[in-house]
Amino acid sequence: MARIIAIASGKGGTGKTTITANLGIALSKLGQKVLLVDGDVAMANLSLILGMQSSPITLHDVLLGEAQVRDAIYDGPEGVRFIPSGLSLDNYKRVDSERLSGIISQVSEEYDFILLDVAAGIEKNVLSALSASQETLMVTMPTSPAIADALKTKIVAQRLGSKVIGVVINFVMNEKGEITKNDISNMLELPVYGSVPYDPEVRKSFMQEKVSPVIVRKPDSLASVEVMKIASRITGLKAPEMQAKRKGFFEKLFSLFRKK
Amino acid sequence: MVIRVLRKFALHVLDDGTRKPSSQLDFFRDFLSKHKYVYTQDFEENLVVLKRKHLVDSFLVTNLDGSIVVSSEGNGHTEGIMGTAMLSYIKSELPDSESVLIKRNDSWFMLFPLNKKVFIVKAGSELSNIELRALAFELDGLLHINRAKQTEKEAKKVSESA
Repeated sequence: MARIIAIASGKGGTGKTTITANLGIALSKLGQKVLLVDGDVAMANLSLILGMQSSPITLHDVLLGEAQVRDAIYDGPEGVRFIPSGLSLDNYKRVDSERLSGIISQVSEEYDFILLDVAAGIEKNVLSALSASQETLMVTMPTSPAIADALKTKIVAQRLGSKVIGVVINFVMNEKGEITKNDISNMLELPVYGSVPYDPEVRKSFMQEKVSPVIVRKPDSLASVEVMKIASRITGLKAPEMQAKRKGFFEKLFSLFRKK
Repeated sequence: MVIRVLRKFALHVLDDGTRKPSSQLDFFRDFLSKHKYVYTQDFEENLVVLKRKHLVDSFLVTNLDGSIVVSSEGNGHTEGIMGTAMLSYIKSELPDSESVLIKRNDSWFMLFPLNKKVFIVKAGSELSNIELRALAFELDGLLHINRAKQTEKEAKKVSESA
């Protein structure tokens, strides 16, 4: 029986979809059978992060009762499997997101982890995804608006019976005045599963002919190494020893010339 | 003196006036403390916690014949009979229906059947079907725990008297 974990933030732009994709791959690297589900049926973009935008059958078709869930599952990077949501706005209006829970339970026996990428906000689609999960992992940024929205989402998740297990802090820059990991942990009353640093390599992953998540393209980047640690913490399994590769002075200098 | 000059230099020249927004953090802490829902050993207290948690005015659980199982307000016979009758009628006309929402004046009455019981919820605004189901499941869980406790108590009494 899979552990069904919703990845939620409340606020948009916290990088929760990027974390979901990379975390799913990290769990797969640890030998877990992983299914990623794009639970953001209105603004689906997990498929874009995985570089798999052309999927003929999507979650929309399954939610509409026009396809079977197994027909909407695709092979993703590093052995991860994936259910995309459709990009069509017409279908989105007809979709009944309340069926999500039943759809996931049809395949939960076949995986160790099912990660649900939850939309921003607390609208019906979000409630459906949170109520379909057993656990919720929050993603936030070290800024007060993001933390305020994370607080509200935590309360909503608890109301719907999903156990909030922890928080991932994304885009950490360790600047003066930045809200610290301890502050966030105390405020949300949650353990911090990881602090993912701001890493330009994440952005660069979208600037490729073939888009692929940073953990696939640059497994030794700062963000990738931290995501591996989060996967290790979730599973309790030891992650392979990985050291983030830091650029030396000359490498930085040469990369400046390379850009031109 | 030197520190003050350096601080002024940092503030004006380097534009480094960044500070942790402590007042906002305090506000968040206060916000979360108002949303703590801890269940106790006392069933009646737990009903109050449940009401606060799901932001509802009252709830009532009845059997399918309208007889009351539990009421957050300690009454509600009329609502119980009316609610179950209404649900039974709608179910006969629309067998696939999951819940019934009725707007009356400034409040909403919501009916949700679960495990051969009817959960009747009154609130200022309507709950989505998902929220209603979550509330019904949680309340059903509390009822189970309470029933188990009562059975245990009765068994203890019987053994003591014997």
